[in-house]
Order: sequence, then C-alpha cells, then structure tokens
Amino acid sequence: MLDAHQRVTGCVPYTDNVELPGMLHGRIGRSPHAHARILHIDASAAERMAGVAAVLTRDDFTPERGYSGRYGRIFQDQSVVASDKVRFVGDPVAAVAAINEERAEEALSLIKIEYEELPAVFDEQEALRPGAPLVHHPRPAQQPAFRALIQDLPGGSNVCSHFKLRRGDIEAGFRQSDFVFEDVFRSPAAQHVPLEPHVTVAQFLEGKLTLWTSTQMPHAVRSQMAELLRLPLSHVRVIVPSLGGGFGSKGSLRLEPIASFLALKAGRPVKIVLRREEEFVTVCKHPATIRVKTGVRKDGTLVARQVTAHFNTGAYSDVGPVVARNGGSAMSGPYRIPHVWIDSYAVWTNLVPAGALRGFGVPQAVWAYESQMDMIAERLGLDPLEFRRKNLLRDDDSFATGEKLADMHFDALLEHAAASVQWSSEDARWLEKYPRNGRSGSLRRGKGLALVIKATITPSMSVAAIKLNEDGSLNLLTSSVECGQGAKTVLAQITAAAMQVPVERVSVSDPDTDLTPYDQQTSSSRTTFSMGGAVTRAADDLKLQILNHAAELLELSVADLILEDGRVAVRGTPARSLSYGEIAMRANQGNLIGRGAFSTRGGLDLETGQGVGSVHWHQGAIGCEVEVDLETGKVRVLQLNPCVFAGKVVNPRLCQLQLEGSAVFGLGQALFEAMVYDDRGQLMNTNLSDYNIPSFQDIAERINPFALEHVSGGEIHGVGETLLPPVMAAIGNAVYNAVGARVRDLPLTPEKILRALREAPCSSPGSAGTPRKA
Amino acid sequence: MKQIVKLKINGAAEETAVHTHHTLLEVLRDEFKLFGAREGCGIGMCGACTVLMDGKPISSCLLLAPLAEGKEIVTIEGLGAPGKLHPIQQAFIDHNAFQCSYCTPGFILTTKTLLEENPTPTPEQVRAYLAGNLCRCGSYVKIQEAVLDAAARLRRAEASNERRETGNDPET
Repeated sequence: MLDAHQRVTGCVPYTDNVELPGMLHGRIGRSPHAHARILHIDASAAERMAGVAAVLTRDDFTPERGYSGRYGRIFQDQSVVASDKVRFVGDPVAAVAAINEERAEEALSLIKIEYEELPAVFDEQEALRPGAPLVHHPRPAQQPAFRALIQDLPGGSNVCSHFKLRRGDIEAGFRQSDFVFEDVFRSPAAQHVPLEPHVTVAQFLEGKLTLWTSTQMPHAVRSQMAELLRLPLSHVRVIVPSLGGGFGSKGSLRLEPIASFLALKAGRPVKIVLRREEEFVTVCKHPATIRVKTGVRKDGTLVARQVTAHFNTGAYSDVGPVVARNGGSAMSGPYRIPHVWIDSYAVWTNLVPAGALRGFGVPQAVWAYESQMDMIAERLGLDPLEFRRKNLLRDDDSFATGEKLADMHFDALLEHAAASVQWSSEDARWLEKYPRNGRSGSLRRGKGLALVIKATITPSMSVAAIKLNEDGSLNLLTSSVECGQGAKTVLAQITAAAMQVPVERVSVSDPDTDLTPYDQQTSSSRTTFSMGGAVTRAADDLKLQILNHAAELLELSVADLILEDGRVAVRGTPARSLSYGEIAMRANQGNLIGRGAFSTRGGLDLETGQGVGSVHWHQGAIGCEVEVDLETGKVRVLQLNPCVFAGKVVNPRLCQLQLEGSAVFGLGQALFEAMVYDDRGQLMNTNLSDYNIPSFQDIAERINPFALEHVSGGEIHGVGETLLPPVMAAIGNAVYNAVGARVRDLPLTPEKILRALREAPCSSPGSAGTPRKA
Repeated sequence: MKQIVKLKINGAAEETAVHTHHTLLEVLRDEFKLFGAREGCGIGMCGACTVLMDGKPISSCLLLAPLAEGKEIVTIEGLGAPGKLHPIQQAFIDHNAFQCSYCTPGFILTTKTLLEENPTPTPEQVRAYLAGNLCRCGSYVKIQEAVLDAAARLRRAEASNERRETGNDPET
C-alpha cells in the first residue's frame, strides 16, 4: 500500500486523533428497556452540573425549536434521542457534552427518566403474528428517494418492507418436479467489530457544521445532516479520515446527529467515541429466518424455488429494506431455475437495529440455499459437485430477475474450488462412508463446497477530479473512503496508469465534501469498479485539456501530438515536447482539473422483481476441508479456499487480502459469532471476551485465494465482499460431509453439532428435506 | 486523585501527574499524544493497545497508570519511524501484512518480543504467540509470512554482526 509507512509506525490519522481547541466529550444515555413509553424526563440536575456544557433530550426537538430530530435512510423511523418511546435496550435517550467523558457520564446518571414498560417482540416471525406489539405506529414516513426501490405498505403491522420476485409459474414448476424439498435456515445477529469504534467530532462555526467522522458514506451523511439541521448542503462539511475497518457498520448516520446537536447547543466542538459495548447496540447483521422450497427432477435438474425470507431489522429500519431485497433477490443462487417465487421481508422488532454487514443480505441467503443444495444432492444420491455443475448459470442464461447474463464463470470457479480440496467422487459417497477416516480416534475429516452470486449496488454513481499541479504532479480528489481495503493505493495506480506518470507523482485525497466530488458510498465492492471508472474518465478529460493547450502553445493540431511518459511530444519529433506542468503554466492556467463521472443504470420492478438487479454479477466459490471431533463437536478448519471472478486485478496483493479477509470473517460467523439476547431483549455478550472474533488460533490452517481474470481487457469486478457469503455454507457442508451432522441454525457451535449428531446419527440420512412424489 | 509517576517512554525519562484510576493507555494517548496504541475492546482481549513494558507486551488498557512507576515503556513510535524502520516494520510492509492497520502496532510489538525470546519460531509458534492480537480485517496469512520473514532478517543481521565482531565477516 502507498501509505504503508504510516500503517506500521502507528501514524495513521484516524478520526480519534482529531483534537480541537475547546473540544468537549460526549456520552450517550441509553434505554434499559426493550420497549417503553417515556413518561417524564428531568435533566435539570445534569444541566446544573459544573463542567457540563450541553444536555440533549427530546425537549430539544419540538416544533417551536424548529428541529424534528427524525431521520432514516429509507423510513424516517429514528430519532436523534428517543421522543415518545424507546424501542430496544440501548436506544439513545439522552446525551451530555462535558469537559471530559467522566463528567458527561456523571451527568447522565443524574437525568431522571420515568418509563412505562410496554410488551416487546424480538423474533422476526412472532412479530408478524396478529396482536404482536407494534414497534412503530403509525407507520413512519418513507423517504421519497426510495419510492422506486421499496414499496410502501399499509400501517398496522411490523412489516417494514416486502420484496417480491415472480418468475415463471411456480405452481406448474412444483408440478413438474419429481421431488420437493422444504427447509428452514436461520442466521443470528452478528457484529461487525471494526477494531476502530465509531468516532465523530462535530464543530459549528458561523452556522456551518464540520464533521470529522468514521463513515463509509460522506455524502449520505452530509445530505441527512443538512436535512436534520435544515441547512444547505454547502453548509455541512464531512471529512473522513482513514477508517480502522468498517465492514458496513459505518454506513448510515450513527453518532453524527447527537454530536452535531450537542455541538450546536454547547457552542463548542464535541467528540464522541463509542465504547465496545455500545458498538454492539448500534448496528448489527440481520438475524434472518429463510424458508426454501425447491423442486427438482430425478436427474437433478432444478425446476422451481419458492422462498419466504424474514430479515429482522430491529428497532429501526436503517437500510434493512434494501438488505431484504438484496438477500431475497439472490435466493435462486447461481443456478438455472425457471420458476421462482420470492417473498423477502424486513421486519421491525425490539432488537438492536440491523443494517449493512459485508455481503448485505447475501450471507443469510447463501447459508440457506447452499446448505440445501447439499441436502438435496444427498437425497438424490448425486455428487454435490455434479449436482451444482448440472444447474450452473452460464452465458446467455437468464437470472431470476429476468436479465440476460454475460461474463459468467461459475464453471471455472466451481472446478477450481473443488480441485483446491482435491474433491473426488469418493467424497460424494455420502452415508456408507461414516465414520470417515480421520487422523485418529474421534477425528473425522470432510470437504464442502459453496457458490455465491451477488449484485453490486445498481444504479450507482461516482465522480472524480484530477488536479494537475504546476510541476506536473497530480492530486486525485475522490470521496472514496480508505477502510484498509487499499482504495487510495488502487485509485492512485489507476490514475498513474491513465495519465502515464509514476505512481509516486499521484496523491489521493481523503473525502472532504467541501472539496471532493460526489460519491454514492464506499460499499458493495464498488470502489475499484465505479470510482475507478470515474478516475479513468477524469483522466481522459484532463488529457484532452492538456493536448488542446499543448496544440495551442506549439501552434500545431492535436492530431500532431502524442501523450507519453507525462509529456506531450510532437509526433515524429520526440525531442520537441512539453511536460504537463509546463503546459499548465505556459497556458496561463495554473491548474488544470479533469473531471469524470461514472454511473450505472438498473433497478427492479416492485411487483415482480424483474429488471436489472446488477450492472454485472459478482461470482465466487469456496472449497473447504474441516476436521470434526465426534466427542466434543469442535470443528477445525483445515483449508478454506476463496475463488473469485475479478475480471481484471489492479493490485494482486490487495486482492488477496480481500479474499483472505472475507474467508476469515466468514469463518467467525460460521463457527462462533452470534449476538445472544435474554428473554427481555438485553444483549448478553457485548464484549470481546463473550463475543469472540477469529484469532490466529481459529483461522484455517491453509487459505489459498484465487482470482480469475480475463486473459486481457476484462472489466474490473470488486472483490471486497463476494467471498464472505459462501463461507458458512461451505463449512456447514464440510461438517456434514465429515460426520453427518446437519446444522441449519448458525453458528456451528460444538453443542449444535453434538445435538445434530444425536438427532441424525451417522447411520441414517441427515436431510430434513421432505421429498415427496409430485 | 492524582499521583506523580516517573517512567521511561521510548527511551526518555518522563515525570507526569496521573489520575490514579486512569490507565497507561489513557496517559500515553492523552498526555503524551502517542496515538499508536489504541483501545479496541477495553478489556485486554484484542491487543490493539499493546505496548512493551520492560520488554514484554502488555495490554495498556488494563494497566493502571501508577503501576507503570519506574517501568520502561516502548510504544510503536519508539520502535522506528518512517525513514528508519525496524526490520519487523519493514517485513510487515514488504508482505502487506495489514489492512486497516488499527491492530498493526500491537502485532509488531508482540512480534518483537516473540523474536527476542525465540529467534526461530515455527508457524505454529507464531500463531500461538500472536493469538492475543486480533486482526478483524483478517490479514493473518500475510502477518504470519511477515513475522517469519522478519525472524530470518533479524537472524541474518545478527549473524553478520557476529562476523564483524569476530573479524570473520567476508564482506570486510
């Protein structure tokens, strides 16, 4: 990475390094109840306390004060601090800015809040039963920008959104099937755990807000804060230093509203840093229950699939409806299925709000459909490799969304993943092989495969500007966020290659909405593809300007000039040339600025889910081998091999890191990561002792990443997320392959594996699919 | 309540008044503006706050500042700086053994002690010794490569020092 030196010397300027004169420290008071009406708040003692500069409660958001305090990306269902009700344990209800964090916490403890507890609902399916407590009533207003994307629904239920996909004739499809399998798979809430917590510093000067904040979406933060504060966009400046990891958690508004209103009220800058336990109650992966019904012919041809998916979006919807849509629309997987019927819901409950997490709904989907693929293969007596091979999507096939597919590489990816674990027909001999040979007594080995198809956000837009300096060096102005993925390095490489200058002559900005052009967000594996596209176009624009000025200076036509090695030379007379810097200065331009925009089109019909789901499709496969201890249920992952179609790799090292990182992240969610609630909605494991993330001792012994590229001239495909979603199913399938224990409810803990072993001992078939003759 | 603590930080003798309930991490960051040690979990599980105390890696988020009295503390800033990197830092760069880098100072400092105690670790020993440092980005494969390479580099440097001392260095 180009900024490697700062990374090994502790000098990366993260947001928490920002310190301003007069800066105060903010802390947040949180609800102890999962669902309660707020009867009364008395903050007077806190306000009187020495060293306290501002106290924020619902009283600051009244019509007379002019601020509604309501926000939300898709539905305006969130409040800066709770107004009428609290809706989960941890819901912000008050905040204090004081001279230090200790004083702020002391002040919070003096705020008296009277609650009237209300019945609460936590499970996404119970929340849909008639008479379930309503989390939001009346139904919150929908943001106009999302009307084409998310259907608004009648009020009076906890259904936040309903995504529908209708293709073919589902009933006919099941009639044409020889067997129909129906299974339910669950994923729990999981945490992002970026090691850097959320941090925001807010400062008001002359009616303008400046935020230094750890976000993946500088422009979305700007527009939402401008709306909350009723300011023009020009008066909200969002600066984003390097992040210490994001993984989707640093998407929508988090600390920015509270920090900004505290700063406004105090008249001084305010910093808020979340504690680890607060991270756990800020945003998480959607718990999901997915019912999959798949019809298949005797020979293993997939015919029909019906899916009902419930994504538990918690107390506030955030981007939940889009997660449910993305996960739902992926449920046919990378397979040709002519008849598909999908209903995917985001559901409000009294749990921690769920949002984007690396994979965006697709991990939950792949866990369901790839686990079921192995279960079906077994019941049909097929090799799961052959069963997949038979049904793969190939060029000119149609996806469930109706779009015609091109650039499909599942054959190559599947073969590579299978070969990486030396998959052979021996491995497919299901039950007679138990107990399989292991290294010793109770240890059994097994292999697993899983595939993924995933959209990148579509439509989408990125803009870049390249500033040519007097000496010919270049500043790339971009709002792409450096999360550790190496965005700056890759974008510098693309700039340098397009402008034909050494990469050392390019400097890449941090996002600063006052200075850097619009970008939708740093997410969805889109930066190298989308911002890379914008950079290429900005370079084209800049080169044209350079050539035009050079032609004028040299009194020649552009056709007589060539651009090479950072200079413009006269064709046939290479000695006659001008450097970029000379051209800018001699043309009396000072700087030249090239600008480029890159956008994609698409979208799905709200009633049928037909249309363009993705400008191109991310494709991946995992080959995995595990060792399971029959006595303890403990799983050791021997190899985990992520294979991706990357189109064209810009930086091989960074690409490998994304694939390895996805494999490790997925391993945690496969084997042990789950947020555990008690029966009152109190989260039980809000620290890294009770909630474990993979350490050196947990990861697979071997991780062999593989990126498939076009031989030449391929389109760039992002690789940030693609390989996380299939990890859980690959490991689950390998565990079954090893010992015959099928777990349908993540994570694959030793307890669940032992229980599954007891329920489905090695001697009997393990699939819960109910085959029936149609 | 405040208390005067005398300690050495990155080779310099320091004397500072600390709140007795504050941690060494808070003092390093707030008083000395050494931002290389970071709080990731606050309970000694993640290793992002690792510093060396008398040569051994500790979680500075767990150590009350007065307990650092008389101790020698080394933070990542004391190991090497841009332009004069420690061989372990160089190995981390050469293997691209980081992504977001929030954990990197902790990994590098723990590695320093590992390689002092065991100049020829096996991959299994590297994994076991560094198990208290978490990398959420999952750069473990490349960290292991970097640590093993750093060990080799340090052994080579050691060997060439010995040759110089004994006059057996073929390069002189």
